[in-house]
Amino acid sequence: MKKQGNIFICMSGLILAGALMPVILSQYHLYILTEIIIFSLFAVSYNLLLGYAGLLSFGHALFFGLSGFATALAIIHFPGLTLLSTVLIGLAASIIAGFVIGALLLRHKGSYFALLTLAFSALFYAVAVKWYSVTGGDNGLNIVRPDLNLGFASISVSGLAHFYYLTLIVVGATIIFCWYFTQTAMGKTVLLMRDNEKRMQFLGYNTNFARLILFTFTGALAGLAGSFYALHFEFVSHMAVSINMTTVVLLMTFVGGTKKFWGPILGVFVYIIFQNYLSDLTDRWALIMGFIFVFMVLFVPGGLSEVIVKIQQRLFGKRNDNGVKYIASEEGNL
Amino acid sequence: MEILIFFLHGLGYAGLLFLVSAGLTLIFGMMNILNFAHAAMYMLGAYLSYSIMNHFTGQLWISLLICPVALFIIGALVQRFLLRPVHKLGHVHELLMTFGLAYIITELVQWYWGNYPLAVNVDGVLNSTVHVIGLTYPVYRIFIFLCAIVVGTLMALILYKTRLGIIIRAAVNDSEMVNALGVNVPLVFTGVFAFGTALSGFAGVIAAPLLSVFPGMAHEILIDAFVVIVVGGFGSLGGAVVASLIIGLLQSFGVLLIPQLSMALAYLLMVIVLIIKPSGLFGEESL
Amino acid sequence: MSDYFHVRDIHKDFSGMKVLTGVDFKVRKNERHAVIGPNGAGKTTLFNIMSGDLKPSSGIILYKGKDVSGKPPHILNRSGLSRSFQITNVFQQLSVFDNILSGVRSRYGLRYHFFKRPDRDHHLIEKVEALVAEVGLTDVKDQPASSLSYGQQRALEIGVTLSTEPELILLDEPTAGMTHEETVQAIKLIDKVTSGRTLIIIEHDMDVVFSLADTISVLYHGTILVSDSPEKVSNDNRVKDAYLGEG
Repeated sequence: MKKQGNIFICMSGLILAGALMPVILSQYHLYILTEIIIFSLFAVSYNLLLGYAGLLSFGHALFFGLSGFATALAIIHFPGLTLLSTVLIGLAASIIAGFVIGALLLRHKGSYFALLTLAFSALFYAVAVKWYSVTGGDNGLNIVRPDLNLGFASISVSGLAHFYYLTLIVVGATIIFCWYFTQTAMGKTVLLMRDNEKRMQFLGYNTNFARLILFTFTGALAGLAGSFYALHFEFVSHMAVSINMTTVVLLMTFVGGTKKFWGPILGVFVYIIFQNYLSDLTDRWALIMGFIFVFMVLFVPGGLSEVIVKIQQRLFGKRNDNGVKYIASEEGNL
Repeated sequence: MEILIFFLHGLGYAGLLFLVSAGLTLIFGMMNILNFAHAAMYMLGAYLSYSIMNHFTGQLWISLLICPVALFIIGALVQRFLLRPVHKLGHVHELLMTFGLAYIITELVQWYWGNYPLAVNVDGVLNSTVHVIGLTYPVYRIFIFLCAIVVGTLMALILYKTRLGIIIRAAVNDSEMVNALGVNVPLVFTGVFAFGTALSGFAGVIAAPLLSVFPGMAHEILIDAFVVIVVGGFGSLGGAVVASLIIGLLQSFGVLLIPQLSMALAYLLMVIVLIIKPSGLFGEESL
Repeated sequence: MSDYFHVRDIHKDFSGMKVLTGVDFKVRKNERHAVIGPNGAGKTTLFNIMSGDLKPSSGIILYKGKDVSGKPPHILNRSGLSRSFQITNVFQQLSVFDNILSGVRSRYGLRYHFFKRPDRDHHLIEKVEALVAEVGLTDVKDQPASSLSYGQQRALEIGVTLSTEPELILLDEPTAGMTHEETVQAIKLIDKVTSGRTLIIIEHDMDVVFSLADTISVLYHGTILVSDSPEKVSNDNRVKDAYLGEG
């Protein structure tokens, strides 16, 4: 139970650090940190598909952007709504889309799945570009964050620090739930299906159903991230549903590493800091990112998190990780 | 008469679509790699053609000779040094590799040629028009369709009538056995990938005068080509022919009937096919 | 319950090639039924149809009075039928414990739960421990499946097959590739764990068949030649011809 204690200490430390950030950081850095938290959820949800279920989706931005649009449209067309209602509307949109598209893709895996997710994403992108009267076309939609109504009090989150706290609590808690999810029955089922789907079927698991539920769930998580994205930038455009947005989350996830839960979060940090500092130095930072990506596919398929784990093992010897298999093999060797 | 024009337009686009999706479906059917870089290669072919035609104004045939050869070499190198090493890691890594390549090629093209559309002009008979039953119609669109017919026929002949075709198809079914018979299977795969890439380069050269060249051209055709192979059936050459015709004509008449939603029609067709026959019109049922 | 499991007139062709041409036999409840036959008789195809892996071209399979032919594997499993694989097909990276847990939690409905952790459920843990002990793998229960010896892997295969607590067990050549001693052990194990259950076993090894089965069906050229007690089958001239003719 020592491990649990460690996790508890780490979590408390993180929460304390998170709470102090508005005091420590400048407005600009707090702005970037909020963005990092939002994209962390997006990347974690993407990795539940890619790393845990072994499904490569090129349409994840579809849910991100759809939810962002739904939230923005709710704010524009129903001015009385509170902030959480607009987030819930975005969430509902992404859940419905996830379920319908997931049902159509049910039978497909591997390359077919990748291709079809790309096609659906392209469809949503085309609609976002062409349906000018609703989506604002190339201009996008500008919004103002509504107040947060907690029933007993109404809090303004128009200031960055307040919105940062809201993001930290809601999005942060969702990311922690995602970690917990990987330990639950459903989380394990997803992992086992990737390893040996056929055996799972013969053990009474409806694997198509499980895939549909997972797809809808990850779509909803991406949707939550998308709503907060729209609220954070107070703007949403067809960029949010584009293939480019999926490319961004794919790069973040893969560079950080798909084999560890925290890999994608690390990837988001690296990517966004890269974007903000390297883009000042060179116009071609996206190209550099592309080369890094191809290099990693070739030589470091486990991403940065794999490198870190290897260094850690070299320095401190092999340690228990949060994965079941490590614990199993460790004790077996004793 | 207007309908005939739209019909011919549809055939022209169908021809282009076939040239792109034929290479895509060949690589997919033979090697089980969904090549996301395919459309980027098509774009590269188009841009190379633009630069070549800057030197030899209007002489399309020079591009038609050089670009496919250049793309063949690039394709062979990519397969040998980038795809073959990740094959053992599984299809997700192969997909990621082709995706990363597409990303890099797109970035490189924008860096070198810029971010704006460039016009490519052809001279001679290809730049003229013909008169058919009272209509004036550009020769070039008819030329595209003829190219597609020639390429499609040649591919079918090679695959089904020659010894090379037999080896390729056998290598797909049982690569170990064919390897044991003394055929260099990895070389066959490199060749197939390089040929598919050359084909996309060829399509790029053909497309450049019609659509002009711009960084978004890869993305546009990639989605349409994907719809073609979903509708036609993964890996089916015959399916690619039929689906290219359907999508080409659908796009063309869609513009005529419901201009706002012409693009959505193709997706709608794809969704219907997915629901009724998930393996595509000509696909094997054992997905 | 004479019609506990009834394979009725099953046909199967693969693109024109007729593999099964009318297979017919009945299995009583709590019976141990072996299906034997020379190579190429269609045993594996029959097994795959019974377990829900393949759909028959025609014919039905009655299980507890219901037609289950062509039902997906997970539905069959939930109705109490479980199969093993000829080539060990477990979760290689998982420990023995977790392999068994994957089936046990399915049996008790903990398949897709978003909040419960199966490894924290004492009821499930007890069930898993008991089954691990039953197949004799307690000493290695925390080792990954990939590190086990061949005999242990086969025992784990049977353990995973039993993990959903089936009443009807289908075993596909459980002793394939085993040494003589391993086979003896395996027979003992199968005998122990299938008591009080119905067993259908497809097997090459005649020692296994004759020491386990109550009834033997002989599959030959896609149809059942004879289905009777071991003594009668071993004295049947048609069976002798079938085997000698092939040999």
